[in-house]
Amino acid sequence: MSQDREEFEVIIDGQRTTARPGETVMAVAERLGVDIPTLCHDPRLDPTGACRMCLVEVSTQRRMQPACKFLAEAGMEVQTGTERVERHRKGLLSLYAADHPLDVDGLPQERATGNQLRAHTLSYGTGPNLPPIEAGRENRVDPNPYIHFNAESCINCARCVRYCDEVEAVSAITLAGRGASTTIATADQIGLLDSTCELCGGCIDTRPTGAMSEVQSLGMLGQDEERVRTTCNFCGVGCQMDLHVKEGKVVRVSSPPPGETLNDGNLCVKGRFSWEFIHHDERLTEPLVRDKDGVLRPTSWDEAIRVAAEGLLGVKERHGADALGFISSSRCTGEENYLVQKLSRAAFGTNNCHQCAAT
Amino acid sequence: MEKKGAKRLAVLDLLEEHGGRLPGVSNRVSVETGVPAADVYGVASFYTLLDRPNAGIRVCQGLTCKMEGADELLAQLKNDGVPHEAVSCLGQCDRAPVAIDPELELHQMGARGGVTPDNPELPMNLGGNDDPDWPALARAIELGEDGVIDAIEASGLQGRGGAGFAAAFKWRSVRSQPETQRYVVVNADEGEPGTFKDREIMLRRPHLMLEGMAIAAYAAGANTAFIYIRGEFPECRRSLQRALDETRADLSWLDIRFVAGHGAYICGEETALLEAIEGRRGMPRQKPPYPTVEGLWGKPTLMNNVETLCCVPSILLRGGDWFRSQGRGEAGTKLYCVSGHVGAPGVYELPLGATLDEVVEAAGGYVGTPRAFSPGGASSGFLPMSMRATPLSFGGLAEVGSMLGSAGLVVLNDTVDLAEAVLWQQVFFEDESCGQCTPCRVGCSVQRQAVSSYLQSGDPNTLRHSEEVAWEMDEGSICGLGMVASLPLTSAMTHFPEDFGRREAARQSE
Repeated sequence: MSQDREEFEVIIDGQRTTARPGETVMAVAERLGVDIPTLCHDPRLDPTGACRMCLVEVSTQRRMQPACKFLAEAGMEVQTGTERVERHRKGLLSLYAADHPLDVDGLPQERATGNQLRAHTLSYGTGPNLPPIEAGRENRVDPNPYIHFNAESCINCARCVRYCDEVEAVSAITLAGRGASTTIATADQIGLLDSTCELCGGCIDTRPTGAMSEVQSLGMLGQDEERVRTTCNFCGVGCQMDLHVKEGKVVRVSSPPPGETLNDGNLCVKGRFSWEFIHHDERLTEPLVRDKDGVLRPTSWDEAIRVAAEGLLGVKERHGADALGFISSSRCTGEENYLVQKLSRAAFGTNNCHQCAAT
Repeated sequence: MEKKGAKRLAVLDLLEEHGGRLPGVSNRVSVETGVPAADVYGVASFYTLLDRPNAGIRVCQGLTCKMEGADELLAQLKNDGVPHEAVSCLGQCDRAPVAIDPELELHQMGARGGVTPDNPELPMNLGGNDDPDWPALARAIELGEDGVIDAIEASGLQGRGGAGFAAAFKWRSVRSQPETQRYVVVNADEGEPGTFKDREIMLRRPHLMLEGMAIAAYAAGANTAFIYIRGEFPECRRSLQRALDETRADLSWLDIRFVAGHGAYICGEETALLEAIEGRRGMPRQKPPYPTVEGLWGKPTLMNNVETLCCVPSILLRGGDWFRSQGRGEAGTKLYCVSGHVGAPGVYELPLGATLDEVVEAAGGYVGTPRAFSPGGASSGFLPMSMRATPLSFGGLAEVGSMLGSAGLVVLNDTVDLAEAVLWQQVFFEDESCGQCTPCRVGCSVQRQAVSSYLQSGDPNTLRHSEEVAWEMDEGSICGLGMVASLPLTSAMTHFPEDFGRREAARQSE
């Protein structure tokens, strides 16, 4: 048994390398820098090998095998670019194209959040030009304000379903139907708001063809957006997120790819969808102090802090420290919350401090 | 993510009990089982009998039924205002055309077909008496587990489900697993159009099958056996249950459970069947790992077809060499299901490797001028009469690019338009593709639509990509369904090019 645990040698496209038991062909190929196209693969999910994009030739098998799922074995030789593999990719992409909205050039439509099917078609080409199939999918009408699903551009890779189940453990959606009419559904086709869905929007980030998208960003194409990496300030976890900025305005929020930041590709409903306040008319963007006429006027931070300190000290002088109370927010980090109680106890001398999440 | 304590196993039965895919049922089953409601709904929508629970009379659309007047039956029901629905093959080709009522009992059919008359020299002998004493099980225990497998190996028995894989190899593989929790599964989900032999076995020789199953469980070291039986075969289940009540064999060591299918041809595929038993959508798994290593709930599982298990008792009682000698080129006898344009449709036991003429002779001879035959169900395609001398064996048919499959032999005479027959078969695969992998999900529709377009327009150009699409479906699909789903079309185009030339347009397609 102990022998089984040792590293062994495999050959991928002529390159010798070592692999560990339990590693997939895909993982070994990635280490070597060998690029294998995928659609249904997401490193956070159990591989299913269903999209067939990553089929490669494996010396121990008669049939081509999905690199995302097939485990490396000692002495195995893998080929990712043979004539057979290339013919397969073209033929497969032809079939995908027969069940996908195409643009005027006959390519899978570009979408705001990208379309891997289009990218693969551009990289590998297609085989025969097939007439579109009549898939007969059931379309779900869903009035929820955040997540839009376009069944026609869905390729049934089930990444969204598996994400919802395996990562979020929410299981709000499922593959439903059979054959060409297979689609993504909720129980009894109810709206997401009525389902167990928490509107985290992870389905949007994991989908490869843009079939799931943000309602707020519908109709936008993604190419001319600038991405700004920032930290979500809705709570203290510190999720990283990418603001998509177009003409000086945020138009979408997405999660950095899995494995890149501590939130591993995940966001919650607040981080992903509650960004409209950024450009809201009533948002405060500078310190304001009320003048003697009771009107709020812009001022400097130094001035604002001085006025606040005077006011607080005034209360303490007149009524004692326990007349003061400090309430902080769960939108502050743990460090900031710590500083608020420090301010409360050490600077002003009262234990009247609270934080909205500390019930 | 499976919640702890979720009663996944009960999902399908509860769905059936509460009415299938009707509003509120998924939630109710979810509350009762702890399986998420969306997941339950996905399962319900997968299986025909659950997805459309109020279908009324279900009329078979299999090749034989179409040839024998299924369309007239549909028209008549429509005329009479009876709720009805067209469904995939019901496995009653010997009495075509057929339909089943909402309780899944036969609604309309001719008399059941014939079988080979009683002959004790035949290994399965459907016409003979069924023995409730299970003498071969006693013999198995004398031989010991390895002795049983040696006997099976000596017999050369190949799996009768379609692939013709060496049975002993599978048995030994399960037996040699370090994991001791093992299962035996009987694949009684017969659904290949043209095939009805397992049905006939379960009705006529239930003891023989159960005895074979018990021997398999004994040899594999399994203490639980599942019988996954097609939902449309309630009569077979009753027959098996009666036999279990009747047998005098000691079965205290073996837990036998029936699992009913709910209308999905794909669940005859072994890994899809495992998913169905586990209470999920019947989508095939990637192989390897094979079920012998990781099967039901990840445990080693020995799955055999009904007919395979029926060969086992005679092998143990009369010896592997004897069984082997019953075949021609390959081992044993074979149950050939014969339907279509023959005198006496039915299930006939002949040496494995018999020719078409021999099998049809047993089935009452040809009716009309034979033109084509489908040797082993929809998946085997269509062959011309010039191949009538081809041995109807696994190897013999593989050599001519076809397959024996489940030996559902359909004979077509010169009254049938092959292009139309192809359409019926392609409709079947389109309806039954599970939808998991793209080559099969999209490919089955592409192929069916190509034939429909051809029949409508009469333009052979509509079929120009069929070969290339067939190649991709064969190479790219996860399971055998997608791999062979183009064969009706491509084989007919190869062997009957005259039926696929330019023809009059405006033909109404189905």
